[in-house]
Amino acid sequence: MRDATTSPSRAGHGTPALSVRGFTKTYAGGFTAVQGLDLEVPDGAFFGLLGPNGAGKTTLIGAISNLVRPTAGEIEVFGHRHDAREARRLVGLAEQDINLDRFLNVDEVLIYHAGFFGMGRAHARRRAKELMDVFDLSAKAKVRPTALSGGMRRRLLFARALMHEPRLLILDEPTAGVDVELRSELWEYTRRLHEAGTTILLTTHYLEEAEALCEEIALIRGGRIIARDSAEGLRAQYGAADIAGVYLQAMARAAEDERRVAA
Amino acid sequence: MSVSSVTGALPDPNAPFTEERRGLIWLCEREVVRFLKLWVQTLIAPVMSSLLFIVVFGVALGDRIADVDGVPYKQFIVPGLVVQAILTAAYSNNSSTVFQARSDRFINDVLSSPLRWWEVNIGLAIGGVVRGLMTGILLLILAVAMTGIGVERPFVLLIATALVLVAFAQLGVIAGIYAKSWDFMAFVTSLVILPLSFLGGIFYSVDRLPAAWELVSHFNPIFYLVQAFRIGFVGQGDVSVWLALAVLVALAAGLSAWCAWLFKTGHRLKP
Repeated sequence: MRDATTSPSRAGHGTPALSVRGFTKTYAGGFTAVQGLDLEVPDGAFFGLLGPNGAGKTTLIGAISNLVRPTAGEIEVFGHRHDAREARRLVGLAEQDINLDRFLNVDEVLIYHAGFFGMGRAHARRRAKELMDVFDLSAKAKVRPTALSGGMRRRLLFARALMHEPRLLILDEPTAGVDVELRSELWEYTRRLHEAGTTILLTTHYLEEAEALCEEIALIRGGRIIARDSAEGLRAQYGAADIAGVYLQAMARAAEDERRVAA
Repeated sequence: MSVSSVTGALPDPNAPFTEERRGLIWLCEREVVRFLKLWVQTLIAPVMSSLLFIVVFGVALGDRIADVDGVPYKQFIVPGLVVQAILTAAYSNNSSTVFQARSDRFINDVLSSPLRWWEVNIGLAIGGVVRGLMTGILLLILAVAMTGIGVERPFVLLIATALVLVAFAQLGVIAGIYAKSWDFMAFVTSLVILPLSFLGGIFYSVDRLPAAWELVSHFNPIFYLVQAFRIGFVGQGDVSVWLALAVLVALAAGLSAWCAWLFKTGHRLKP
């Protein structure tokens, strides 16, 4: 079994796409969502982060994306501090919740997003057209997000995250609430992005999809990583038939450990 | 979906960040586009509302009210109504744009981008500045046509306008950041800004109030805004131009510093 926090870079140049050291987040009310978390994701990896609600996944993603202020620890994206402009330019984020600008049309949502990342107007328009074609949104280019179906909003959210051509794409439960057909298409597209070199950090509650897509999977609970390996490695380690079995066993063991420590 | 066509080139992770067009310009543009899409609600309605005061109190009743310090009443009320329209437009624009962006969480699109904290601050504030300016200009054109008011001290008016726009654009952003509901912003507009405006000498000279009320008026910051505008338009007010502008500078500087602190630290914007 590999070390629980690191693995070699697939690109081989040694700088990981994501490096998290000692990350702790305690919210204003005193609740500690993540405590001393270490994690390294190699450049070019397809990395899955699985865990129950409240495990700290979204807090971690928020901190990487400069949306949550770390209480302690260091986060680097391709060797840059996570809050540096160089780092932020490299990260694309599709959040769990649909958070689209209600005042803009579909094409404007994409174009302005690219603009915030410094893209020129002609470049942004070209890129928006490409992605609207890919995500079947061209016919809705002048429609506001509030008038789109749930599936279309999810596609727009995905397209927006890709507008500035990120090298690290973070997908926080990107297929929550979408139908089977669209989910399959989104996963297929994500696989192709990965093949083209994009590093992908994925959280999902669809364990079978994480197993099929991710090269590596980390299980997170109570703000700490309790297991990390390839799907095959995890199955072997836990003697389980699939990742769902691994997940249940790992969570049960962690819960038992937590009870023992508390006692 | 065309799942087979992956487009776009991966950026070099070691390359320095460069912009083809400044993100700040894009954010400013977005904020102006937002209120222009709602132009009837954001421009026409406030201009019409202020215009009604000029029509009713100025043109219809103004002839029955004595001149105030030699200024015809219909002209006397114009500076206060213009400044009230400007500050309300700047405040309400920015409080609603920031609160909506926080409430729907699409502010994350801006906060996760490479925009610097001060660029986000300026970008979010600019919508209120432009809307306030457009509201003021529209109202001014109509008020000049209806009352024949002139601009005695244009430089004072220019400085006062700039300071009011900065102060209330920033106040709007601050309110949008702290607000927990739409009710909060309606409360500030209806129960703080509107009463302070009306008690700030828009319709009367505080010289004519009883001494105690005159003293109380001097603790109302909007009183100094009205005075600065009145000096700019008709060349006279209840306080000196320097005191009026000094209060405006202090107000704009204080609110700008508060806003800068919020964006620099991420307080209430980022948990």
